[in-house]
Amino acid sequence: MKRLPLLDKFLAGMAFVPAAMVAAVLAFPQPALADTSKVPLTLTITDIADHKGAISFGVYDEAGYGADKAVNGGTIPVTGDTATMTLELPPGRYGIKLFHDVDGDGKMGMNPFGMPTEPYAFSNSAPAQFGPAKWDAAAFDVAAPATTHTIKLIR
Amino acid sequence: MNLSRRLFLHSGLMTGAALAVAPKVFAEPILPGWHVGYSNAPAAGYPQAEMKLVRGKAPAGLTGTLYRNGPAHFKHGDAYATHWFDGDGMVQRIAIGEGKAVHSGKFVDTQKRRIEMAAGKFLAPGFGTVGDPSYPVGSSDDVNPGNISVMMSGGELLALWEAGSPYRMDPVTLETKGLKSFRNDLKGMPFLAHPKREPDGRVWGLAISNRKIGIYNINPDGSTKSFGMVDIGASHYMHDWAMTERKLIILCQPWIQTKNIPPFIDGFVWKPEEGMKYLIVDKDDLTKTRWAQGPARSFYHTGAAWEESDGTIRLDAAFYPQPILGTGGGADEIRGKYSGDSVSSKLTMATIPVSGDVTMVETNIAGDFPQVDPRRHGLARKLTTMITGSVEGQPGGSALAVQDWSSGKVQIHDFGAEYMVEEFLFTPKGSGAAETDSWLIGTAINTKLQRSEVHVFDAGHVDAGPVAVWQAGYAWPLGFHGTWAGA
Repeated sequence: MKRLPLLDKFLAGMAFVPAAMVAAVLAFPQPALADTSKVPLTLTITDIADHKGAISFGVYDEAGYGADKAVNGGTIPVTGDTATMTLELPPGRYGIKLFHDVDGDGKMGMNPFGMPTEPYAFSNSAPAQFGPAKWDAAAFDVAAPATTHTIKLIR
Repeated sequence: MNLSRRLFLHSGLMTGAALAVAPKVFAEPILPGWHVGYSNAPAAGYPQAEMKLVRGKAPAGLTGTLYRNGPAHFKHGDAYATHWFDGDGMVQRIAIGEGKAVHSGKFVDTQKRRIEMAAGKFLAPGFGTVGDPSYPVGSSDDVNPGNISVMMSGGELLALWEAGSPYRMDPVTLETKGLKSFRNDLKGMPFLAHPKREPDGRVWGLAISNRKIGIYNINPDGSTKSFGMVDIGASHYMHDWAMTERKLIILCQPWIQTKNIPPFIDGFVWKPEEGMKYLIVDKDDLTKTRWAQGPARSFYHTGAAWEESDGTIRLDAAFYPQPILGTGGGADEIRGKYSGDSVSSKLTMATIPVSGDVTMVETNIAGDFPQVDPRRHGLARKLTTMITGSVEGQPGGSALAVQDWSSGKVQIHDFGAEYMVEEFLFTPKGSGAAETDSWLIGTAINTKLQRSEVHVFDAGHVDAGPVAVWQAGYAWPLGFHGTWAGA
């Protein structure tokens, strides 16, 4: 009658969507005027079960994805099943990590063993795999003239 | 006899193509009668069916429901599951009342099962299963088979695994309602399969992550009173534990995980020189702890414990001299092979003094699945029941024992070679308060008839044999643990 050896240890060691990402959101105000070197990315999150709080997301390039250093980010208030925001990025390949800040405390909830208690997701709706979705699974292209990207929230 | 083999021989087909098929056909084994305990249950479950009283009389006043849980799916097509412990959990329900016993059963509706049934193959990693790399694992509950035990809480039936959340099930229909979370900030916390219920209904449970032990204190109505943590210093293998009226006792056996890479079981190291350490925690203040040192033992299950007026703690368990790796419920049994147990246990009473080392008194009862009268759980008591006995070439136990610690005497009923006997539970009988004012109720597979049975004994007289036996028209797979919900 054994236990499953310590999946928790793999998972708890990973910072899914760390507090550093919240700082990234604050550091990246979206400009009011269009910058012609940038391309609009319209991001939509679906399957939001709790209609409150906000989606907090970070946008990463390949270099920053594993190091949790975002190049852009944002917060989208949640009032329904979906949430949408448009932001401008230089064309390129990016990955998004996000969580639903249901209780509005600005942090992704964790249980005492370090596992997320609030829903999260990754671009391409890539599944978590013993930790955050890998770059190869989450990476998508932002290209002229405009890109739309939809992510399904996990639980 | 394997039908396709017979056809092959009689068809006279001896072409090269036929010969290429032949090795697999000839290699299929004739499965022994006991293998019915490790065969797939029907995917849709078992609809309610009345069992037949085949011995004795339905005990007057025996009213309630026996629930049991265990792995019940072992094969997708020709592919066997890698390990018994990874089989999808199925809850069996036996409702007893007005002289009748009615059986039903339903698989726990887990994410693992949904994905694997849709794909028609095993995908999730598990205790003994490496799994398919494409199977997404975001949390323990993504691989949770919900297959070890059950408990009633807050009017719901919870199916328990040990490294993930319980599943909530309807106690009558056995529909799965979702994952259980004991508090919003405890979502996804694991819950060991051996919660401890005080006689007034308060339940204590443990959560394990490496050396950190979470402690649940659950009110009788199912709401969560508190959750705390203790650090046991190392990642000891742990499946069960014990409590007294005022203390929690966390047994730390010297089987310690030192590496966290697959195959995980290889990362556990047996260090008998460290002995077994007992962490005693005050229920009212989890920061009040002390350690006691005892001789090296390995174990899966405890009976229960109590504290005497001078502070001495008595605790019984099925202790093994070393870990029983590779025996009793592994990969072979699913395929119909059994090579016997190399290590056997002894039902043992450990004495933990207020100061000084732990000492042991061993019986000669070898076996497992110790159980005690729930009315005396954590209190001074006399009786422990256990499954014992074995049949040559067949896994599982064959006899029911009741040890009386006050007299030192044991009563045993031998079911005989045609039975695989499962865990028996004390159920209170009438208004008498003595432990012997109980029935013992449990299941056994009649391997000759290939049928599951429910046996009821008088707890004070197991050597007189069962007072009643109900028999189903079929056998459901072997399980691990259960619970009795009295009316």
